[in-house]
Amino acid sequence: MKNYDIINHVRGESLFIDDINIPDGTLYATVFYSPLAHGKILNLNLNEALSLPGVKEIITYKDIPGENQIGGIIFDEPLLAEEHVHFIGMPVALVIADNELTARNAAKKIKIEIEPYPVITDPREAFKKGDLIVPPETFSCGNTENAWDECDIIIEGECDSGGQEHLYLETQGAIAFPSEGGGLKIISSTQGPTTVQRVAAKVLAMPMNKIEVEVLRLGGGFGGKEDQATPWAVLTALAAMKLNSPVKLILPRHDDMVMTGKRNPYSSDFKIGLKKDGKIIAYEASFYQNAGASADLSTAILDRTLFHCTNSYFIPNVKATGYCCKTNLAPNTAFRGFGGPQGKFVIECAIHKAAECMGLLPSGIQKMNLLKEGDKFPYGQKALHAQAINSWKAAEESFKPDEIRDRINKFNSENKYFKKGFAFMPICFGIAFTNTKMNQANALINIYSDGSVSFSTAAVEMGQGVNAKIREVVSRVFSVSQEKIKNESTNTTRSANTSPTAASSGADLNCNAAYKACKIILDRIKHSALEELNKSDIDKIEIRDETVYYNDIRTNLEWCVLIERTFHKRISLSAHAHYSTPEIFFDKSINKGTPFRYHVYGTSVIEVTVDCLRGIYKIDSVRAVHDFGESLNPVIDLGQAEGAIIQGLGWMTIEEVVHNKDGKLLSDLLSTYKVPDIHFSPEEMEIKFLGIPNPAGIFNSKAIGEPPLMYGIGAYFAIRNALMEFTGSNDFPYSAPITPEKVFLYLNSKKAVFLSDE
Amino acid sequence: MSGNINFILNKELISADLNPATVLLDFIRNKKLTGTKEGCKEGDCGACTVLTGEINSDRDEVIYSAVNSCLIPVQNVNGKHVVTIEGLNLPGKELNPIQQEFVNEGASQCGFCTPGFIVSLTGYFLNKGILNSGNVIDSLDGNICRCTGHNSIIRAAKKISDKFDFAVHSNGTRYKFLSENKIIPEYFLNIKDRLSKLNTFDIKVSSDSGKKSFVSGGTDLFVQRPDEMLNSEIIFLCNDSTLKGIFLNKDVCTIGSLSTVTEILESGIMNDLYPGIINFAGLFGSTPIRNSATLGGNINNASPIGDMTALFLALDSNVILSDSENKRTIPLKNYYRSYKTTERKPDEYMECLNIKLPEGNYYINFEKVSKRTYLDIASVNTAILIFMEKDVIKEIHLSAGGVAPVPLYLAETCEFLKDKKISRENINKALEITQSEISPISDARGSSDYKRMLLNGLIKTHFIKLFPEYFSEGVEL
Ligand SMILES: Cc1cc2nc3c(=O)[nH]c(=O)nc-3n(C[C@H](O)[C@H](O)[C@H](O)COP(=O)(O)OP(=O)(O)OC[C@H]3O[C@@H](n4cnc5c(N)ncnc54)[C@H](O)[C@@H]3O)c2cc1C
Ligand code: FES
Ligand code: FES
Repeated sequence: MKNYDIINHVRGESLFIDDINIPDGTLYATVFYSPLAHGKILNLNLNEALSLPGVKEIITYKDIPGENQIGGIIFDEPLLAEEHVHFIGMPVALVIADNELTARNAAKKIKIEIEPYPVITDPREAFKKGDLIVPPETFSCGNTENAWDECDIIIEGECDSGGQEHLYLETQGAIAFPSEGGGLKIISSTQGPTTVQRVAAKVLAMPMNKIEVEVLRLGGGFGGKEDQATPWAVLTALAAMKLNSPVKLILPRHDDMVMTGKRNPYSSDFKIGLKKDGKIIAYEASFYQNAGASADLSTAILDRTLFHCTNSYFIPNVKATGYCCKTNLAPNTAFRGFGGPQGKFVIECAIHKAAECMGLLPSGIQKMNLLKEGDKFPYGQKALHAQAINSWKAAEESFKPDEIRDRINKFNSENKYFKKGFAFMPICFGIAFTNTKMNQANALINIYSDGSVSFSTAAVEMGQGVNAKIREVVSRVFSVSQEKIKNESTNTTRSANTSPTAASSGADLNCNAAYKACKIILDRIKHSALEELNKSDIDKIEIRDETVYYNDIRTNLEWCVLIERTFHKRISLSAHAHYSTPEIFFDKSINKGTPFRYHVYGTSVIEVTVDCLRGIYKIDSVRAVHDFGESLNPVIDLGQAEGAIIQGLGWMTIEEVVHNKDGKLLSDLLSTYKVPDIHFSPEEMEIKFLGIPNPAGIFNSKAIGEPPLMYGIGAYFAIRNALMEFTGSNDFPYSAPITPEKVFLYLNSKKAVFLSDE
Repeated sequence: MSGNINFILNKELISADLNPATVLLDFIRNKKLTGTKEGCKEGDCGACTVLTGEINSDRDEVIYSAVNSCLIPVQNVNGKHVVTIEGLNLPGKELNPIQQEFVNEGASQCGFCTPGFIVSLTGYFLNKGILNSGNVIDSLDGNICRCTGHNSIIRAAKKISDKFDFAVHSNGTRYKFLSENKIIPEYFLNIKDRLSKLNTFDIKVSSDSGKKSFVSGGTDLFVQRPDEMLNSEIIFLCNDSTLKGIFLNKDVCTIGSLSTVTEILESGIMNDLYPGIINFAGLFGSTPIRNSATLGGNINNASPIGDMTALFLALDSNVILSDSENKRTIPLKNYYRSYKTTERKPDEYMECLNIKLPEGNYYINFEKVSKRTYLDIASVNTAILIFMEKDVIKEIHLSAGGVAPVPLYLAETCEFLKDKKISRENINKALEITQSEISPISDARGSSDYKRMLLNGLIKTHFIKLFPEYFSEGVEL
């Protein structure tokens, strides 16, 4: 099972947007953005910039023929600022010039005068002022009010989790070409080609059929190109239409980091009630989500936080409320996990705090409360084929936590300045867009007269291997070798009205659509074969390894011959099919239903060592038993799990999005925003396949993209545990990321400071 | 301005009038060699990694190093062989063993970072067995992959590393061995000949005409102001061989300003003088940055967090400046005036650094803490050189970075500790003095409180690490 894309990657021959051969005369664009986080534009002076030789045009909102609106869920986000600016990085104008350097230089010459307004960067402050993007949303089950009485202990607390920059290695970009008849072709680095098409149509006041959006592949997306690839594509489209010339825009890294949103930071309150033995009776949480300056996807992200607020646990009484708080930061957006990680972090804080207060092991409470078959989630769906307990038990058997504990205790008693800690982290993640109508995809399969096959689907390839999985499905259905199958780009003329490739569901949806399309053609080919063989029973026809079998007996009829003859008989060798996920629904008015097709489970154990002299740490190992179903491609699935875990570790540890109080992003380059590098990777990474088939997945597989990221949350608690070993106290704040600075300051605030207390 | 630049790009001879300040990445991509990617244009992602090779006269062969093409001006590759991913591909669609192992392990997902990793690994294998350059994973410390999390890349790299025995092939036969095993294409075998015929010359720096800036490796300048460099009057120091090399001369060790961080920390002379100095290498930038970054650049960039600067401050060195006619010597500890300002006059350049050879019973250590341990700028760094006579400190030099507008020599702290015994009490007293010598500010690398406490912590760490017997801790640090 090869991943064909990789063969081109390793030779440097895969094309990304910036690599595409463009026509001579293509113009280059640069975005001029607001230097202030909040205020009223008093004056915008373009004269000096326009006078620079080579500058073709500077576009502002006034040049927009249609609506100046790019909001997807809520229409609250202009493409270009009109009277007000709401965050540093908000696009104000687009400079178009002969070349990149000129465009950049001209943008520096634009003068803007802004009357500053007060700036809010903190979600709780926004909440206090009543700056909510939508009214609060509550998910509940049982009755927490009554349940507190049943509890032996009730613990309350507060916790914070930080933002996270996507840092897809390929920055955002697009090229727009005028096409005949006044239309446009846009090549975009987007996870959502239809989103780009829809918004471009709205902004340009054109019907959607005049806009063709094409995606080759993305150099990473992680959610950051789900909604936020749109402005750049639409801006180039606007410029291309206005100037009747191809226009290219690739964001320099700094602009990308400043202008695009990140994972939503959250500040949360929790209250948890338990029985003495650790059984959780009730849980309440309030999530203050930092949405940034407009809704973007934040409301949907907040929903998923509520869906996943109890992680893998069954809790009979739950009340969780989410506040979508408007601040003066770039609109925050989808990031692998989509609010799930933020929700899980809070329940884990609650459990750890409870365990510390009760003198129990956190893992004891975690294990005791895992979801059992048939348990209901707070949103009413039953956990079916639940693997929470199975994966936990498998993790215990494989990784032997008692031995880990002994080993760590021994190390800690022998080492004064180095301390180890470890933590369990179970996960449970629902698969489907929680917005039910988005759970659809389509696929076009062509078999050419020489027997070669191509597929074209709604899925965008961004490294997650979705094309390799679809190829696997096509190859299994037709029983032809993978070499005969080619994937096409994602294009709105071949796949219309698609959902973005997101929510871990790209493979599920598109493999199913491809499967259906293949089956349609297979049926025609089988009938054709029946005719060729002069036989009568269609059920006895089978294609195996590119040869037709009848009644289990190999015939002389080979795939290529069959295809050619079928073509000559004027039978269609193409099919287009649509797939929509069955059995899911959700009633928004009561927040109950079966929003997910199934859930993905797993359990990880993370070990770390803290260097208490320098206040730095190392992740020693990540071990997990993960519920992959029956993997369609183990190499790809393992890679997805590993990559997601490292992103989760980064989110919890060194990745720190820092703004100052004026709303200026300080971590605005790779030199100030640090993602895991090769030395950060744990020395030991062991991921076991639970290996239980998933009846709801294509060929019994399971979605993989997002869930493993949440194992990373364990690193926060492992480090915290190691700190407790050194200081003997458990008051390290529930605040992630747990940066070296926080670690060092905490250690130094304790009496245990070395060299002085002996 | 325009200059005649000659180099070999993969197989092709480039001989062109180019703006010498054009960064190599832009030149390469304009040639439609799009396998080399732009991920950051500031040396921090490695997607743009290429190899540069030049004839090393000591070894009489071409030695390659990985560099960030986004920061290297084309002038700096004059006379060299530049290799991009396209120059490593075998003819047809055949994959070389490195590429094949990446495919087997799934060590590429979106693929954007992948060519950079392959180029870095090739650079490592080209040198393996002749240069002392860490292990195979260290060679990838300048490449970031956001998709894989690096584990599959580590597996692939280790597999290839285990597969071939590079060590046995030293001078002469090495390239043949590498080419027979398809790590490099055959055309590499002729490169030495072709390079020796290239028209390059040694250009002695002359700095007669007023305000110009000097470029050495470019790893600071081309991050700070790449666009401006295209229109600046700049003097490229890279072609002046008198600024290169590390020599012993009676009681002085001379380090040419063009010596790269790699050359300094791997130098036999330096490691004889200061055993273990090579271990600090990993904390400075990344492999490609160390291959380009020079001593002269680090000292004269005058950044308060320069790591080489901190190290050489503690080594008690002297800066030798020249205006191409006259020379003068300034102790490094007196070199820095205020933020980013030194004693150097605009038409002077640094020729070299001299250090007095240490004698007796001495120890050095270097500590640096940053948010990410590797390829990150220090929150705080510090170096120590300490001379002991029995249990008394005869002489001590301590430096500190990130805690003042300039790189600091902690003069008063050193003065206090001189002739004292090593004890908790003395160190704690000394640290109080240290606190009065520093004035850190809060920024993206940490709050001022953090930096204050961290420096204390790191100075304690120096002592605990160098003299564990006094502290009965017995930990490996
Ligand atoms: C990704 C990345 C990581 C880095 N990591 C580190 C790190 O970990 N630690 C660290 O200390 N630094 C680090 N740096 C900074 C930089 O690499 C070093 O400061 C390096 O030593 C600069 O040398 P250069 O030759 O490249 O300087 P250049 O950019 O060529 O020059 C820097 C400055 O010095 C002047 N200059 C250069 N040579 C001379 C001379 N001979 N005489 C007078 N003036 C001269 C130049 O005019 C310029 O002002 C990093 C940089 C990058 C891009
Ligand atoms: S482009 Fe990132 S290091 Fe050069
Ligand atoms: S494969 Fe995407 S960044 Fe490495």
